[in-house]
Amino acid sequence: MLMMVQAAVCLGQSTTGTVSMSATVSKFVEINSGGSVTLTGNSGGGVTTDGVANNPLAVSINLGELGPGNTNSFVTATVPLKLRSNAAYVLSMSATVTSSGTSASRIGAADVGFGLGTVTRSGIGVNNTGTDTNATSGDPTLAANGSVNATTGRYEFTAVRSNLGFFSSATTALSGPIIMNAVPRSNANGLTVPAFFAIKPQFFENGTTTISVTFTVTAP
Amino acid sequence: MRLRRFTYALVAVLVLLGVAPAISAQALDISAGGQPTITGAVNGSVTGSASVLNDLVVTINFGEVSPLNTNGIVKVVVPIALRSNQPYQVSVSTSGLNNANPQALQASDVGFGIQNMRLLGGAGKTCTQSTHVFQSPFNNDPATAAAIGSNGRVSYASSLANLSGSTVILSGPELSKNNSSKRQQSDGYVFDAIFTVTPQFFAAGVSSATLIFSISPGPNVPC
Repeated sequence: MLMMVQAAVCLGQSTTGTVSMSATVSKFVEINSGGSVTLTGNSGGGVTTDGVANNPLAVSINLGELGPGNTNSFVTATVPLKLRSNAAYVLSMSATVTSSGTSASRIGAADVGFGLGTVTRSGIGVNNTGTDTNATSGDPTLAANGSVNATTGRYEFTAVRSNLGFFSSATTALSGPIIMNAVPRSNANGLTVPAFFAIKPQFFENGTTTISVTFTVTAP
Repeated sequence: MRLRRFTYALVAVLVLLGVAPAISAQALDISAGGQPTITGAVNGSVTGSASVLNDLVVTINFGEVSPLNTNGIVKVVVPIALRSNQPYQVSVSTSGLNNANPQALQASDVGFGIQNMRLLGGAGKTCTQSTHVFQSPFNNDPATAAAIGSNGRVSYASSLANLSGSTVILSGPELSKNNSSKRQQSDGYVFDAIFTVTPQFFAAGVSSATLIFSISPGPNVPC
């Protein structure tokens, strides 16, 4: 009985206590606007809904006149993107192009040049190690990325992944290593890259065309 | 008659032997100090007894601490009760948090501070010649003492990185008025251990750590 009393007393006392803790960090990626859209070479049209840096990417652009009435060489829209992640990332894109025209001369996906420009990783908290892989050919208006088809006379964006025809389904445009070091989300820095969209004004079939592009970033 | 006396004497000795260690054990005691709380967590929790009669066994799950958690900070407050009839000190040792990737959660990313020394259940020994001392640098609320360092990462006035081996965090004079052989609802002191993690772009993964709080005889300060 004495032993039982002793045991009961001891159960109520201790000189040590334990605190166990755990935390989870899931993979995280995000894409936002990298800033204002730049539209050049346009005749009419304009930026309907502009990008706002660090806000969700949702821009709307009216490219204006794309027939021979526009005498500029290209109508080009530059859309800055900002990516952030705590893991390796893949940026993919898918696009649809619908035109009111009915002939082969209507504007199609292959007539819309596309490419990603120079990737920039800068600012406090941004990981500068590793290499980003641009799967596109860059600025589609570069001479190396397109030319007039000698047979048809139509201007074509011929380089690898240089027009929206390559992106009829989600296709990788950019990939790379972890973007952010261990900093809070309030840190506004990240990876920025311009997305170029270009159309060469030509004798397209008259009508209206709608181009819809969706960027998706993932952490595989 | 002699046998009866011998038996009484033997019983008395056994009783004394049984009680003596119990009194000795009561000299220093650490236990739960009340219900632990957590704020700012996503899929997080904290479990531990609200009763000051129970041992200190607390499990903290900070939950998601990537940017998926859009709260400013995850904060956990763990009340810890102390009882002693002699000068005491509280020390802490930690283990288990050893991520090799510097961008993963590190000990310095877990803020740790102690505050709010108060009487347990409204009763305890009030000493006039010595005070209870929160050892530097732990006397702070890491949630309010957080700052962003030159590298953009959040730092704290004190964190688990300040624990090296068994580190004394608190000391002072005796805590209890009575010399009860049982853990009481009152007659001691309670302080808050505060833990914080700021959600950041940590490298993905699951991290864990274990802290052992110990009470032992402290510097011989007068009451």
